[in-house]
Amino acid sequence: MNKFINLLKKEIKEMITLQIVISLLFTTGLFYFIGVIAKSEIEKVAAERDVYIVDLDGSQESGLLTDNLSLAGFKVNLLEERDKSSAIEYANANNIDLLIVIPEGFGEAASQFQFKDIETYTYIRSFSISSSAGTALVEGVIGEINRYLSNNFLKEKFPDIEPENLKNPIKSRDFVIVKGKMAAGSAAEVSSFVYSQSIFVPIILMMIILYSSQMVLSAIALEKQDKTLETLLTVPISRNYIVIAKMVASGLVGLISAGVYMLGFRYYMGSLMGNIPSDGQAGELIQQLGLQFKPNDFILLGISLFLAILCALGLAIILGVLVEDLKSAQTMILPLIFLVMIPYFISMFSDINSLSLPVRVLIMLIPFSHPFIASQNILLGNYDIVFYGIIYMLVVFVVLIVIAGRIFSTDRVLTVKLSFGRKRLAKDY
Amino acid sequence: MDEIILRVENLKKNYGKREALKGISFEVKKGEIFALIGPNGAGKTTTLRIVATLLSFSGGRVEVMGLDLKKEPKRIREEITYLPEEAGAYKNLTGMDYLKFMARFYAADKHEFDEYVERAVEIVGFKDRLKDKVGTYSKGMVRKLLLARALMTKPRLAILDEPTSGLDVINSLEIREIIRSFVQEGTSVLLSSHNMLEIDFLSDRVAIIDKGEILEIGEPEILKQEYSAQNLEEVFRRLVQ
Repeated sequence: MNKFINLLKKEIKEMITLQIVISLLFTTGLFYFIGVIAKSEIEKVAAERDVYIVDLDGSQESGLLTDNLSLAGFKVNLLEERDKSSAIEYANANNIDLLIVIPEGFGEAASQFQFKDIETYTYIRSFSISSSAGTALVEGVIGEINRYLSNNFLKEKFPDIEPENLKNPIKSRDFVIVKGKMAAGSAAEVSSFVYSQSIFVPIILMMIILYSSQMVLSAIALEKQDKTLETLLTVPISRNYIVIAKMVASGLVGLISAGVYMLGFRYYMGSLMGNIPSDGQAGELIQQLGLQFKPNDFILLGISLFLAILCALGLAIILGVLVEDLKSAQTMILPLIFLVMIPYFISMFSDINSLSLPVRVLIMLIPFSHPFIASQNILLGNYDIVFYGIIYMLVVFVVLIVIAGRIFSTDRVLTVKLSFGRKRLAKDY
Repeated sequence: MDEIILRVENLKKNYGKREALKGISFEVKKGEIFALIGPNGAGKTTTLRIVATLLSFSGGRVEVMGLDLKKEPKRIREEITYLPEEAGAYKNLTGMDYLKFMARFYAADKHEFDEYVERAVEIVGFKDRLKDKVGTYSKGMVRKLLLARALMTKPRLAILDEPTSGLDVINSLEIREIIRSFVQEGTSVLLSSHNMLEIDFLSDRVAIIDKGEILEIGEPEILKQEYSAQNLEEVFRRLVQ
């Protein structure tokens, strides 16, 4: 055991280099920095509801309209310019983003229910998130004006009826049923809440798998490149220990790297997704439907994630035998990336159960698919598929580790190389 | 009768259809330096790698201290050390960390561990640089570090593939002297080299190998007399021609 610990310490020391630490901190800092900028832009969008109005009509109706916009939450700024072109010039000179012109005769036409067009001028000064908010602001203002005018019209014509009842005579009450439990709420609300809560599971998994696999592949490639593997293979220690030490060290370093990386990433995503509903109402709905992870569910999900990582490490060890140096290790990681990315994207944008049978079987054969689909299936109470996935991954891992152990216990670890897509034996041995 | 540390009998190794070793046989006695000399591709490194338990073999028998290499490779690894021709050390470890890392695999207790590390520090000769990372060492320093690693445990059999490969004259001389001194303390050495002068200086006996076959075995002086040659290079040329 002491020999194994000795080996493990060496592997970790070799993996955690200054370059790795700097690159990790830089990436995390970069995500944090982007997150700060994105957050401030989004806050700017939410805060800026300034509306500049030139009222060329000056009637009671146009006055009521601007008052109503104030009541609706817009900050109304009335310009004193008395013609359209000077108002546009003023707006241009004062960096005003949205200018609304109420035409002359608007009030008189409105009193006869013959409306005149209101003109809006939006200035695009950049293509940032906040600049694109101008369109939404215009739509909001026009929507509010239309609501105000149409309600007035309906009240005038049908004084005994609520205008909203006339505009939307049929209303619906939404119910959602999951696992036989029913609660009042919309399916979209449930989906967006579950999505916001579980979006990080596949991202974390993908990061850890890719980091750890890259680590283990690089560890073997480096041993070959620096000509240290031969010496290591002649020391009195079990070859299986060599394989396991590399896997454990890669798993640990990969886990730490992905964890640090995710801190920055989580801040970045949190900044972008701050508007996804996660309030008490949605939380209550989720609770009523039982769409929450129980402690046992977390354990199940953890086992599934852990086995997927072990499978990736086992596969990476075998691929590592085929590499000659760090350069070829970067190419050799590609098949693994594809195997992880396919279920990752499918789980992000589609439902695996809705795919055709052959495609579904193909996806299920990839061991990394199982943790991606496990979180949703656990929430929906489909435990069978999660258990089958765990058993399948365990079998795959055992097979991979036996293959890796056998390769390391023979001279194939030194003699087999992959060169331009074909296997050859090293002639110089 | 001299104790036999290594016995190789009719050793064969095939790479696909190519015969790298065609049935070679030799023995290495206790406290002896036995050298394999021959051109590139003769089978020297293959032989050394087989004895070092790295490569499998197609036929024959190899015994290290009476242990069958096919049956007891793990036990054999406790008694041997191997210095490959182009070996490197872990660049992110310091020289001292590397020596300690290797010593832990062989030492039975703390006392033995300290003894191995102390001996290795004596062999390397650059104690002040052992706190630096291996990545900052010159080629000569790395080679000395690796030789120190190979000899610090006083193995029963040290397998050295081109021990002075790529080194300057001063470093080569130092390494040869270190090897000689360890043999006097009981270690047996199996080595290979292209450098006939080195072989002449170091070896007690040599085997001249070409195309996977041993052409001649004997003491350098006797071989030179037999073939009326000034040096081993001439012996080698006459045998190959």
